[in-house]
Amino acid sequence: MSSPSSLDELIEALRCLPGVGPKSAQRMAYHLLQRNPRGAERLGQAIDHALKTLRRCARCNTFTEDEVCDRCASPRRDPTQLCIVEMPVDLNTMEQTHAYGGLYYVLMGRLSPLDGIGPKELGFERLLARATDGVVKEVILATNFTNEGEATAHYLSEVLHARGLKVSRIARGLPVGGELEYSDAATVAQAFIERRDY
Amino acid sequence: MSTGKQRIDGAAAFLLHAHPYSETSLILDVFSRPYGRLALLARGARRPRSALRGVLLGFQPLELSWFGGGEVKTLARAEWMGGIALLSGKCLLLGYYLNELLLKLLPREDAHPVLYDAYADALGALSRGSAEAAELRRFEKILLRELGYGLALDKEVASGEPVRADRQYVYLVERGAVEARDDEGLPSISGKTLLDLAADDYDDPRTLAESKALMRQLVAHYLAGQPLQSRRVFVELQDL
Ligand SMILES: [Zn+2]
Repeated sequence: MSSPSSLDELIEALRCLPGVGPKSAQRMAYHLLQRNPRGAERLGQAIDHALKTLRRCARCNTFTEDEVCDRCASPRRDPTQLCIVEMPVDLNTMEQTHAYGGLYYVLMGRLSPLDGIGPKELGFERLLARATDGVVKEVILATNFTNEGEATAHYLSEVLHARGLKVSRIARGLPVGGELEYSDAATVAQAFIERRDY
Repeated sequence: MSTGKQRIDGAAAFLLHAHPYSETSLILDVFSRPYGRLALLARGARRPRSALRGVLLGFQPLELSWFGGGEVKTLARAEWMGGIALLSGKCLLLGYYLNELLLKLLPREDAHPVLYDAYADALGALSRGSAEAAELRRFEKILLRELGYGLALDKEVASGEPVRADRQYVYLVERGAVEARDDEGLPSISGKTLLDLAADDYDDPRTLAESKALMRQLVAHYLAGQPLQSRRVFVELQDL
């Protein structure tokens, strides 16, 4: 059965979303057209508007409507500390700690050699320029404790050290309230290897 | 018994690569000791509280159970076995290189226990940060041999004479070492390097340099034009 080309086009366009295969794309398309045409219109306009108004903050690389985002422009944040995270959700998590008052840089990814994601794809040059602005004194590496996050942290620490910056890495261990019995073995093993004087 | 109902319990395996599948799942490319490389669907592995999150780690010995008969089987259980420290720094990047070689050269569902053990040994050595270059050469040699491309390092192919440490040779892919003449156009390699490589003796810096060049040439031949992403990323990182 052949369908009109504008329908095909919509289905094909929805497939650009992560985890959306041909079947779910078709389901979404029919839902938007049949059940929720106003929602569809709003979605279309919102995407259009976002694409026209949003850009990357010149300082932290997250999306903003201005040249520099509110957080980076805030006089209440300590500009000598720069925390590097992989994704905006990681930044949000760090913010929820209320333990950090410095600024951020969001990589929008991590090194992933098998997927062809290297320093060029991640824009290391841009980050290095940001970290060596003369104001930043300490860089805190808060990439994930996955192999990719570790590789990212390692190479960033090398290049940032070489440029005379103080570099630290968030600590790895058991979750607060975590009981050994219920923790996965790899976490306990690494917490043991990285045990500290007490 | 139909292959559709086949269930494998507790197979020693390493995770080579994973990519997202649907909202919450992963497709794993694993290298198991008894069954070789295979694809497994890990249902729900990307859910926030998934028990698989702290277990499905690359470069770590795992024990996996799965069922199903198609091209992609379904992961039933995964356990972290430990015994190899997490790789870090440069050795982590070299680990990706090993994985990429296996992903690109090893066909699916072809058991290679000898290669599996060599891979585990290489990861163990990398996790201890010991003589990386020698470990890579040792692994590449076993990989090529297991794939059926064994190297002839100690005899000159034309004459059958033993390779002599004090002579110069060139290595012809799929044939072997022949004595170097001026007109070959290939990089020449010393007889000593060939003999050292045969004996896995990498103490001589010249052996290391020449065997690296030779292995790169051979691996590139069998990759048949496929670029190695991990090497490109590694080189870019060294240049930072
Ligand atoms: Zn900003």
